[in-house]
Amino acid sequence: MSVGLETVVGVSLLYVILLFLVAYYAHVKGEQGQSIVSNPYIYSLSIAVYCTSWTFYGSVGKAATTGLDFILIYLGPSLTAFSWWLILRKIIRICKENNITSIADFLSSRYGKSQWLGALITVIAILGIIPYVALQLKAVSTTFLIICGNQHIHFPKEIIGQDVALHSGFIAALVLSIFGIIFGARSLRSSERHEGLVAAIALESIVKLVTFLIVGIFVTFFLFDGFTDIFSRLKAQQTVYDHLTTLGGEGESDYANWLTMLFLSMSGIMLLPRQFHIMVIENSSEEHIKEAMWRFPAYLFAINLFVIPIAFGGILSTGSTKGADYFVLTLPLLSGHSWIALLAFLGGFSAAAGMIMTESVAVSTMFLNHLVMPIVVRLTPRSWFPLLLINLKRFGIFLVVFLGYAYNLMLGDTYTLVNMGLISFAAAAQFVPAMLGGLYWRRGNKAGAISGILCGFLVWFYSLLLPSFIISGWWKTDILEKGPFGMALLKPTELFGLSGLDIWTNSLFWSMFFNAGCYLFCSIALRQGDKERDQVRKFVDVFRPKGEEPRWETKRLSKPVTVMQFVTLLAKFTGEPQAYAAIGEYLGNREIDEKGGVSEFELPNLKRFVEKTLAGSVGAAAAGAIVESYLSDVGSKMEPFYDIFSSVRTSLEESSEALYVRLKASEIMNRSLDLRIIMEDLLELLNKEFKFDLAVIRTVDSTGALRVQSFKGIEVDVILGNTIVPEVDSYIGEAFLTNKAQFVNDARNITKAYTQAILARQNFSSFAHIPIAREGEPATGILSVFSINIVGLFTEQFLDLLASLAGQLAQAVKIVEEREAREQERKEKEKALLETARVTRDMELAKQIQHSLLPDAPPSIPGIELASRCIPATHIGGDYYDYFPRSPEIIDFVIADVSGHSVGAALIMVETRSVLRAQVMTTSSTGNIIKQLNALLYEDLSRAELFISMFYAKYDARDRTLSYSSAGHNQPLLYRHCERSCEELDAEGMILGVKPDVEFEEKRLEMAPGDVLLLYTDGITEAENEAGEMFGTERLMAALKREVDGDATAIVEGIYREVRSFTRIEIQTDDISVVVLKVLL
Amino acid sequence: MTPFQRWKRRMLKHLRLMESWVIFFLLGLIMMNYPFIHIFNKNVEVFGFPLLFLYLMGGWAVSICVIYLFTKAMEDNNHKEERH
Repeated sequence: MSVGLETVVGVSLLYVILLFLVAYYAHVKGEQGQSIVSNPYIYSLSIAVYCTSWTFYGSVGKAATTGLDFILIYLGPSLTAFSWWLILRKIIRICKENNITSIADFLSSRYGKSQWLGALITVIAILGIIPYVALQLKAVSTTFLIICGNQHIHFPKEIIGQDVALHSGFIAALVLSIFGIIFGARSLRSSERHEGLVAAIALESIVKLVTFLIVGIFVTFFLFDGFTDIFSRLKAQQTVYDHLTTLGGEGESDYANWLTMLFLSMSGIMLLPRQFHIMVIENSSEEHIKEAMWRFPAYLFAINLFVIPIAFGGILSTGSTKGADYFVLTLPLLSGHSWIALLAFLGGFSAAAGMIMTESVAVSTMFLNHLVMPIVVRLTPRSWFPLLLINLKRFGIFLVVFLGYAYNLMLGDTYTLVNMGLISFAAAAQFVPAMLGGLYWRRGNKAGAISGILCGFLVWFYSLLLPSFIISGWWKTDILEKGPFGMALLKPTELFGLSGLDIWTNSLFWSMFFNAGCYLFCSIALRQGDKERDQVRKFVDVFRPKGEEPRWETKRLSKPVTVMQFVTLLAKFTGEPQAYAAIGEYLGNREIDEKGGVSEFELPNLKRFVEKTLAGSVGAAAAGAIVESYLSDVGSKMEPFYDIFSSVRTSLEESSEALYVRLKASEIMNRSLDLRIIMEDLLELLNKEFKFDLAVIRTVDSTGALRVQSFKGIEVDVILGNTIVPEVDSYIGEAFLTNKAQFVNDARNITKAYTQAILARQNFSSFAHIPIAREGEPATGILSVFSINIVGLFTEQFLDLLASLAGQLAQAVKIVEEREAREQERKEKEKALLETARVTRDMELAKQIQHSLLPDAPPSIPGIELASRCIPATHIGGDYYDYFPRSPEIIDFVIADVSGHSVGAALIMVETRSVLRAQVMTTSSTGNIIKQLNALLYEDLSRAELFISMFYAKYDARDRTLSYSSAGHNQPLLYRHCERSCEELDAEGMILGVKPDVEFEEKRLEMAPGDVLLLYTDGITEAENEAGEMFGTERLMAALKREVDGDATAIVEGIYREVRSFTRIEIQTDDISVVVLKVLL
Repeated sequence: MTPFQRWKRRMLKHLRLMESWVIFFLLGLIMMNYPFIHIFNKNVEVFGFPLLFLYLMGGWAVSICVIYLFTKAMEDNNHKEERH
């Protein structure tokens, strides 16, 4: 029974169209940003591209011929799922961060972006994948033949429809490669995801699972009566049954084979190019791994559930294991259920198609990036490059598919499906050591990876691929039996005399032995290059949080390249819009200077970004080569900074050298307070430690110009000779004005004319100007360092160190300045104190002199007692009293008070005394005396803005008459003994110094014995106590009344005592002067 | 909280550890290899199924369940982290 050719072709065509539509829909949705494939279900299903027609047909074939070991091909991947969250997630993270496009790109990137490694892996992948693709095409063409009516599939050479078989295989190859081109090679950016392709793969995964389950259920439950029925029926054929349900015999070889299969499948699941592509490159979120980890194994479990029943059922139905590979198809056909067979055919076709499409896309990317690119990068980039490259990629897809087709034509019929697939698995297994080592072992290096993979590959080729050629009869030789040149030791299937193992174990053992051996040996024995070390960090430490390790830039571009130059370069490989978009995204808010460049420390990052972007299209190795060759074209190259710290430090911690310099510098600053010595020692230290040829410190002077303060090193007049007014046309000016270090790492790249002119006369390779400034304050000077020979001296780290030293210096300057300012202040204070002391002493002297001008003791006049006292205040004052005896009986006495307590008042008092003494004798009238005095003193008083109050009295003892005049003085008190009362004496008169010509009233009164006259100054009445009360006239009168009974001196003392007890203050603020006249009883 | 819930929570906590992943991965490898396989490599039927077939399929199913539990434990952990 068969299905008609037309039906098969028609249904297949419809199915392909459905695939196209689904893929197209997914692609369009993806473009619109509403991805339908970006979810864990589709991701898990797409990983099931692992299940090819090898699974679909081959599992049954293997189960029917060798028994249970088919399961290992699926058990292995299932077990690896445990490690996905660790390993797969790490791989995915690395790929996303480095724009990695394929497994070849991954490994070559890890090992220093080696083009050789990339090419080697690509060659292995292509060679390894050809049998696999061939297998798929063989399955499609064979099943096509079967379903169209030819069931003699075990004699394919003799069938009549040879041309039909060729046709179907060819057409399948053509259709699938076109599919791959449309959905897998739309753009050059291979690191981006192909949503259409993934959608088609996922759909195919569903189809193959469902159809296989349908066939399984049909065979198990319709042809037979469930699992146990099949087992019990086969049990009748005891030998076959035993062979298939247990591992034959007790030999170790079976267990070794078991382990081999497990290992091969475990390496295949992630390292086959298509698996890597689907699982890593097409992954849209790390979270999807979590779901896929159990969904994918469950998928494998489900698709294998009915393998044994179908295989055993096939043996029971056909009576033999011949054509067991196609039991899935033949069992429904035999039982007349052609529609189930057609479904099975579609399932098988899906399995094959999914594999071919993904594999060809993945491998063509590798082909383009690692085989074509290394040649292309040697050419000068042209504008039509993007077009050429994309077409080369499409060509790669055709190439892969049709190489598989050719292999199938030549030797497809000798091996069963499983055997052909295993060759590919064994090839992919060669990537295991380099892959695992690359992810977790820092020491793993390029030499190790290349030698390991190369050796493994050679052994694989010799012990596995070559025998497959020989067995197929394509190459007639007896190497297999006798070994090359008769050397039995080198027999491919029993290498080095290791007999007793199956071909797979033999090949895997020896290839892994040499592969891992070389990898380990070379990695340990040889050093890693600079570039390699950079990459190691990106791979092994990919999960280390960013920012935990602030990297110092250790590389520089010897000649700056502008952003535009990079854009132009990018555009040549990715197309212009993409180039602008990428750079725009990168620059973001980074600073660009007026010439369209970025800072020197940013430049290497920009270069890396350009490389990374290019890598997304052409692979990391080629991208590296492209950028490097471009740089060398413009005369620039990436080179390390001069290693001032004797080892390239990339970690946070400072090198011990830098710490040493810091320590030394702070010692210098603390050792001395002399700025000149500090500066000289610091410059000395810099020159010694950093091999500068000249180091200069300039500070800004009062005119704002930078003047050389100190320098060490060679004397260069053009630099040391001039005082610089800071302006932006020189680096030093810019450094000072912007308060940011300015540096030139290669004097050939200088752009400032002023500096160029200076350097024309003195040859320096690199120099830097570091502002001397304290944190957050403007610069006060510039530290300049120059080197004649060393290019690329100033790293960010080094400048930081210098800036910190300059900051320390600024601090030291500040401290010295502050100390000097304090010293100055102290001196001034001392001087002021001395001055005050002198003045105080002078004042004291003046006070004493003034005091001595007052009469020592009153003259004695018969009938009266006189007493007087002046108690000076703390400072000089203006109180004055005096006696002028005119005759033995007549005496004049005066009390006066010059306003204010100044030296002026004291002088005026002295002048008053002199004038008064001279005037007294010229007239006898008290009014006239004061009047003349006023006239004489008026000018002096008004000039000094002082006034005098005065009371002048004359006492005649003969008739006890008192005549008196007052110039606005406190009214003296007169105690009348007979009345025992006090009265105030008043007379008309203005205080002296107000007007030049004033008349003073002269009053007369008679005194009786016992009367007491008290003259006083306002120091008494205005004396204040703590409460702010004044002593006042009332209290004075009371005090006088209490004291009148004593003699004159006692009265004076009594009153003074009263005042003191009232104020209770030691320091009196005003002079207190009292004159007492007592008429004796 | 019932003893079962307590037990479940404790198990989930253990499953979150990376070490557990590695241990189960290695355990799976060992269980599916010689000499373990040798124990089940016998001409015996259990419930009408060949012993080795049952062992392999059963072991496989168990391993899938364990991975499922692992991922659930991880999600649980994620939720907790989100809440914090």
